[in-house]
Amino acid sequence: MKFQNKLPYLLLAAFTLASCKTQDRYAGVDGDFINGVPLPDRQDGASFLGGNVAKGSFQPVQFGYDSDKVADSEMGKVEAVALAMRRSSADLIIAGFTDQRGTEEYNRGLGEQRALAVRQALIAQGISGGRIQTVSFGEELPADPSGSESAAAVNRRAEFGVIR
Amino acid sequence: MKRTTPPRNISRAQAEAVSSAGMRRRKLAAGYLLRLPRYTLAGWLLFLPLSPVVAEEAATITVRKGDRVSLAVTPLGGSSGDAVTSVLRHDLDLAGWFQLVPEARASYLVGGSASGGALQGKVTDSRGSIVLAKTYTGSHREVAHQFADDVVETLTSNLGMATTKIAFVATASGSKEIYLADYDGKNSRRLTSDESISVAPSLGPGAAQLAYTGYLGGYPDVYLIDLASGARKKVVSSPGTNSGAAISPDGRGMALTMSKDGNPEIYLTSLRGGSARRLTRTRGVESSPTWSPDGRQLIYSSDEGGRPQLFRIAAGGGASRRVGGGFAYCTDPSWSPDGKKVAYTVRSGGSFSVAVMELGGGGGRIVASGQNPVWGRNARHLIYNLGSNLNLLDLQSGRITTIVSGLGKVSEPTWSH
Repeated sequence: MKFQNKLPYLLLAAFTLASCKTQDRYAGVDGDFINGVPLPDRQDGASFLGGNVAKGSFQPVQFGYDSDKVADSEMGKVEAVALAMRRSSADLIIAGFTDQRGTEEYNRGLGEQRALAVRQALIAQGISGGRIQTVSFGEELPADPSGSESAAAVNRRAEFGVIR
Repeated sequence: MKRTTPPRNISRAQAEAVSSAGMRRRKLAAGYLLRLPRYTLAGWLLFLPLSPVVAEEAATITVRKGDRVSLAVTPLGGSSGDAVTSVLRHDLDLAGWFQLVPEARASYLVGGSASGGALQGKVTDSRGSIVLAKTYTGSHREVAHQFADDVVETLTSNLGMATTKIAFVATASGSKEIYLADYDGKNSRRLTSDESISVAPSLGPGAAQLAYTGYLGGYPDVYLIDLASGARKKVVSSPGTNSGAAISPDGRGMALTMSKDGNPEIYLTSLRGGSARRLTRTRGVESSPTWSPDGRQLIYSSDEGGRPQLFRIAAGGGASRRVGGGFAYCTDPSWSPDGKKVAYTVRSGGSFSVAVMELGGGGGRIVASGQNPVWGRNARHLIYNLGSNLNLLDLQSGRITTIVSGLGKVSEPTWSH
C-alpha cells in the first residue's frame, strides 16, 4: 500500500492546495488509493458456520498481539492455500479471530483486518480477490478458551473455509 | 495573515492544539499528513508550551452533602402505593441530586397516592406550597419513573434518567443475546433468541428502536428491532463484516463499521439500510463510532497509527482529527449528551479501565475499573460493564451501584436518551 512513486502524492497535494480556500472540504474520492480490494458478493447459503463450508483443510495463520501483519514465518501456510486454489475452482472464506485482550467491537474490526490481510496475501500470490470472502468473529469462538498466555497466541488467527 | 509551515519538531499534542484552534489538516494516507496551516506567530506561541497530559489518578471530584437538595419521600397511599414508593425512592436516590432525609429536615416533600394504574404525584416545599402536582398512568414502575424525572426536572432543572432504557449483551441463556431493561437494570427481558452471536446493541432516541450485530446468517450483519412492535429487519448485510452500528441522535441514520471495500472503515447509512456513505479511509481498523449530540460529528477509534486511538470527524465527511485520549489503547468512545466530554475504554497493564476526557483539552482521567462506558442523558452518570456486572457510576459523587448481575457475562451496554 506504500506509494510506488510520488505522482499521486503530488497530485493530491496540488488538489489540496487548490481547495485550500474552501472550508475543510475533503479532497479524496471513493476508490482512492487507501482502498483494499473490494469484497465479492456473498454466495447464497455459504457461511463459515454452515455445513456447506469445509473447515480444517488448511492450517490457521497466527498473528502477534494486536497485529494484523502476516508474518514471514506464516507465509508457507498462505502459499499452501494459494497452491490448492490454483488447482481448484472452489472459493474461500477466511475467518478472522482475536484473543480476549481487547474490547469486543475493536476485536471484531481487528479480526476482519486479519482476514483481509491474509486475503491480500493470497491476492499477491495471484489468486483473484473475487474468489475470497472474509468474516470476523472477533474474540468469539476461541480455539483455546483457557485464557492463558499460550491460549491467547493460539486464538489470534485466521482460519480457512472452502466453499463446497 | 501569514502562511507558513509548522516546525519539524512539533509534537502531536501541539499539532492538535493548533489544529483545534482553526488550523486545517488534511489526512491523505496512513503516515502521510500534509498540513496546510494558517495562523499567526502569536497563535503559535500560545500553544507551544502545551504538552501531552497523562492522568492515571482516580476521579477526585466530590459533592458535599450540603450541595444536594434535601427531600423526604412520604409513603404513597393507595393500593399500589408501596410498590410505587419503593421505585420512586430508588430513582430519586440514584439521581444523585438529592439527599433523602426525614420529613422534619426536608426542603421538599414528595408524596401522593397510586392505585389502579394511576399515580397522583405531589411535591410541596417546606412551607406547604405545591411545587408539582401531576397525574401519571401506566405500570407501577412506569409511573414512578415518570414522576421521578419530573421531580428532578422541577427541582434541579436537570434531565431525569428514570424513564430511560438500557440494553446490553448477556450470556445467561448459553449464547450471547441482547437484553433490554429499565435504566436501573430492573424489568429486564431478553430481546433476541437467536442462539447465535448477538452483540453491539445501540438504542435509538426514546428507546424506539434498537440496532445490533447478529451472526444469524453466518456473517456479522446489522439488524434493527422496532421495540414497540417487536418487528425485526436485517438492514445491513454487505460482504464482509458489518458491525457496531450507532443510531444517530435524530433516529434516522446510523454509523457503523463495514469492510465491503476491503478495509474496516466507518460508514453512514439510513436506518432502512440501502446505500452507505464511507467516512474514513485509512489502512487501519476503524470502529465504535459515537455521535455528537447535534448529530454533526462522530468520534471513533482507529488503530491507523498502531494501537487504537480516538479520532473525530464531521458527519458530512472531511479530514479526521485525533482526540488525545492520553493512553496507549483507547476504544469504545461515548460522546456525552452535553457535547463536552467523551468516555472510553483504556487498556493498560493487562486490565481495562473507564476513562473520561474533556473535549476542550486536557488528557483523560480514569474513573473506574471496567469497560464499554455509555452516558446517561444528564451527562452525569455512566453505565459500564465489569465482569458479570453492569455498574452505574455517578461521576459527581463517585458512587458506584451494581444494576445488573446474575445474567452470566454482561457486556456492551447502550443507554437511550
